[in-house]
Amino acid sequence: MTNLALTINGRAYGPMDVRDELTMNDFLREFLGMTGTKFGCGAAQCLSCAVIVDRPDGSSYTNPTCIVPAVNFDGKSIRTVEGHASDGALTPLQTAFIEHFAFQCGYCTAGFLNEGQVLLERLARQKVARADVEATIAEALDGHLCRCTGYVKYHEAVRAVILADPGRYLI
Amino acid sequence: MRPSRREFMRWSMVSGISLGLSRLASADTPSFLVRETLPGRGVPRPATGRVDGVAKVTGAKLYASDFRAADLPGWPAETSHALLVRAADATHSYEGLDLARLGAIAKPTVVVTAEDLDRIGTRVPSFYAGDLFCPVGKTPLYLGQPVALLIFERFDDFDKARLALRDGNFLKFGAETGPVAVPNYAAFRFTRVAGATPDAPDIYSPIQEGWISPGFLESSGRPIWAPLPVAKGGEYVKGAVFGEKIRAELGSGDPALLTLDRDFETQSVDPMFLEPECGLAWYDAGEGDLSIVLGVQSPFEAASAVAFLLGEAGDGFKPKRIDAQFAYVGGGFGGRDHTPFPLYVALAAMFYPGHAVRLAHDRFQQFQGGIKRHAFKMRTQIGVDRASGKITAFAADHVLDGGGLMNYSVSVAVVGATGAIGIYDIPKVDVTTVAVHSRGVTAGSMRGYGTLQTMTALEVLIDEVATTLPIDPIAFRRLNALKTGGRTMAGNPYSVSVRTREILDKLEAHAIWQNRGVEKAGAKPGYLVGTGVACAAKDYGTGADCALGTVEIAPDGRISIHGDAVEMGNGIGTALANRVAIHIGGIADAVTVAQVDVFDALELFTSGDSYTISQAEQDTAAKDTRWVPAISSATSASIGAHVGTQAAAEAARVVFRFGLWPAALALWGIAPTDPRAKQAGEAYWQDRHLIMTGLSPLPLEAIAAKAHAQKGVTGAMAHAFSRWAWAQATFDIAGEAWTGDIDALAIRRGGDAFTRLDRSVVAFPPADYNRIGTAFSSLCGTLVRVEIERATGLLRIASAYSVLECGQALVPEVVVGQAQGGFAMGVGYALLETLPPFEDGPGNGQWNLGQYLVARGSDLPLHDLEIEVLPPLAANEPPKGMAEVVMIPIVPALLNAIFDATGHRFQSLPVTGAMLKGALA
Repeated sequence: MTNLALTINGRAYGPMDVRDELTMNDFLREFLGMTGTKFGCGAAQCLSCAVIVDRPDGSSYTNPTCIVPAVNFDGKSIRTVEGHASDGALTPLQTAFIEHFAFQCGYCTAGFLNEGQVLLERLARQKVARADVEATIAEALDGHLCRCTGYVKYHEAVRAVILADPGRYLI
Repeated sequence: MRPSRREFMRWSMVSGISLGLSRLASADTPSFLVRETLPGRGVPRPATGRVDGVAKVTGAKLYASDFRAADLPGWPAETSHALLVRAADATHSYEGLDLARLGAIAKPTVVVTAEDLDRIGTRVPSFYAGDLFCPVGKTPLYLGQPVALLIFERFDDFDKARLALRDGNFLKFGAETGPVAVPNYAAFRFTRVAGATPDAPDIYSPIQEGWISPGFLESSGRPIWAPLPVAKGGEYVKGAVFGEKIRAELGSGDPALLTLDRDFETQSVDPMFLEPECGLAWYDAGEGDLSIVLGVQSPFEAASAVAFLLGEAGDGFKPKRIDAQFAYVGGGFGGRDHTPFPLYVALAAMFYPGHAVRLAHDRFQQFQGGIKRHAFKMRTQIGVDRASGKITAFAADHVLDGGGLMNYSVSVAVVGATGAIGIYDIPKVDVTTVAVHSRGVTAGSMRGYGTLQTMTALEVLIDEVATTLPIDPIAFRRLNALKTGGRTMAGNPYSVSVRTREILDKLEAHAIWQNRGVEKAGAKPGYLVGTGVACAAKDYGTGADCALGTVEIAPDGRISIHGDAVEMGNGIGTALANRVAIHIGGIADAVTVAQVDVFDALELFTSGDSYTISQAEQDTAAKDTRWVPAISSATSASIGAHVGTQAAAEAARVVFRFGLWPAALALWGIAPTDPRAKQAGEAYWQDRHLIMTGLSPLPLEAIAAKAHAQKGVTGAMAHAFSRWAWAQATFDIAGEAWTGDIDALAIRRGGDAFTRLDRSVVAFPPADYNRIGTAFSSLCGTLVRVEIERATGLLRIASAYSVLECGQALVPEVVVGQAQGGFAMGVGYALLETLPPFEDGPGNGQWNLGQYLVARGSDLPLHDLEIEVLPPLAANEPPKGMAEVVMIPIVPALLNAIFDATGHRFQSLPVTGAMLKGALA
């Protein structure tokens, strides 16, 4: 057992004892009841389980949770799909996902949303040329599996958010 | 006779167990139903988007896998966890589970085996015939057959056991027995010989003569296709004689005839819906209530199957009530239609009474135990008159591997066979098909349902014919395409639009096709470029489909809809809202799907089998005005838009005609005797206002308030049934005889309760329609251009275009999305996905997405994939099913493009990079 303390969507959890082998996905879903983060494969291949990890320097990245022990997140600050909207107000990316009909069954949506959000935050710090937008999105989202949509509308939604705010994201 | 695709149970009582009659108790925690009603209380639906949009981007609890006991008011606080132990050996005698060794890692609280089921007296529904658990001393029927169900009180123990069982061998096996021998599931022969002219009656057809099956060799169980007398099963000899004559003509060596004779093989694949199967159940022994939460495509069937399972169980194991509730589904593609998984969920609860038990596959388990697509072996012969370019004859022999349980193998064989001539009009056809048992993982329903396999073989063959003649492939297709009124292989015409010519014209005019020569000639050094085309016509519906729907409008104009169709990504909730809005002017504020327990007011019951019922039986049964041929269908066979919205749409028409319209007349001051009172059909809705020429627009809210005030019809509940045509019935509403495409109706006046109306007349589609293979079909054509690197065999899809028709698209964005998704799934099927049979395959419990490759974004032309949906032929053309057809033509189109690029025609799937590299070496 290891003592675990972390921040999820701005709220502190722990310290609490957890089994060393317990995955972060099971910690979120079974122990905290936060089932917005999905379980898809248990092999870090589909990334429906990905969450956002915030670095102290303000940058962020996604991390799978299905094969990663919860204790690996000790001391970290993460965001899940439940933490994007603020007081019921959706983020531009959430709104774009809805308006573009980006998802169908929606089971992979949390992973795509987190990955897309991390991409937006990265581009806000390091802008991209318009000509490279599509390739940048494709590279960012490619690890995520979706069985329903063919990915096109996810890409279109992310692109729409980027192009809607060129001063923020584009060189 | 048409094999049954589902079992039919009485609506209200099954084996003395009452089914799903109440809601969960309310509490501070939102109830399951509240969570599943979208867009959700206080959540406005965005201007565009799906009704489930906000819920899905905020991580709301929607899916069965999201729920634990603590999320459900009135349930126990804690959740226990169950685990199915499956056999990875189907050639040795099973000798038991090493519980002592497992117990050292994690000791289960409860162990359920075949002996326990025998002890309590469970019954297996015939659809799942076979041992639910392999008994000790028997050889497992198939790889992945469960041998035991383990229940753990604590999650940590469950988790440890799960991992230990994946990596360690805790099952004991004895003597080698070889695989269990099981007879073939079914064999059929479909033969048609057209008359001398298109208008002349067929000389022989399945419609005229009935469906025929051969006899079987007693020694091996193989079908005897020769025209020898069959003890039972109809006039086999007559059909077989015609069939053999067709084959003799194809083999005659006539120089005027181009004949090709090819073998084609397709592989087993996994539906790979992203949410593994799961369920949560709790048996309250004191009350006798079994509560279950599931995510399936077939809610009514799942509840009925559980009731049958426990219907004769002994004391303590037969619940008084089953309260089954159904959640949003994280992908289905057919693979969650009629699976035995709900039975194990129920057993978990029954063997640990008083505890909420969750059974959830992980991905390894889903590969090991989930339904698969059938692998096909096909031999196809085609004859084409060299002078005219017309196809004169077609013969094929299909063998499909159904795996360990029969499941849907029989109907997949039928649908694959009757779809084997695709979009073509062929006067002489003879197709045999046999579905066999094997020790592989059970195959069942999956998107494409047999036709993906047979139409891929066909369209690759057609491309070869066009190349050989030679003739332009699109021109050849146009020359031979079935036209409106032409007859399918079964001998009936389609009863819906047939727009093959338009589809082919679109394909021919597209830049991908027009520029194919230039692109090929201009390939980069070291690369090959090829363009392929294919076209498919896919049936939708099963021949006995039904829907339940309720539409209600409140005094403030708020609209709510209940439907029994399942939301699995298909946008059915949004489609319901949009279709109802056509009739009553507003988008629903609350849509609840997958509901099978809120239609009691209709008092429905059924009997017999709607696929096999005789006309006399149907006529007798129909005299009871509560009888319908079937009560609730699985959401499958691309019926979502066509069938799934039908009952709600008809209910909305009733609400308008007998509630909102009279209210509007009153508001306008138009007397019932005024001729304008009869002109309801001329009014229309715009921006929640009812518009009538020469009168002031009326807001929906005012009309709804008036309808309530004058006790008009403010809610309607309906049931619809289709056997290639809708059942029609007449009801007395407000003194008027009203006829609709439904067979049962209840209405609500003002704020009163629903009251069932007796139908005065009903016309069910004739029982003989069961001989129809299909009467509903949608078309899709695809062009694809590929680039292949010579040195590596690496294939890139450079661009693609799919054009389809689906009647009225209720949610056009969803239609395009489904087409994009179908394209992606087709690419995976053609190039990536494969599961080996037997011991190396998924039944060994070691498969996951590391080995099993599905299409990712980088495998697809994300910015060069064009989807075109033809507008409906008329404003009132009904919606047609399209979810399956959109994944078919990309598969043969890719193979045809590969041939165009490389000169190599592959005859099996998938065509991997290694195979391409080998072909180019």
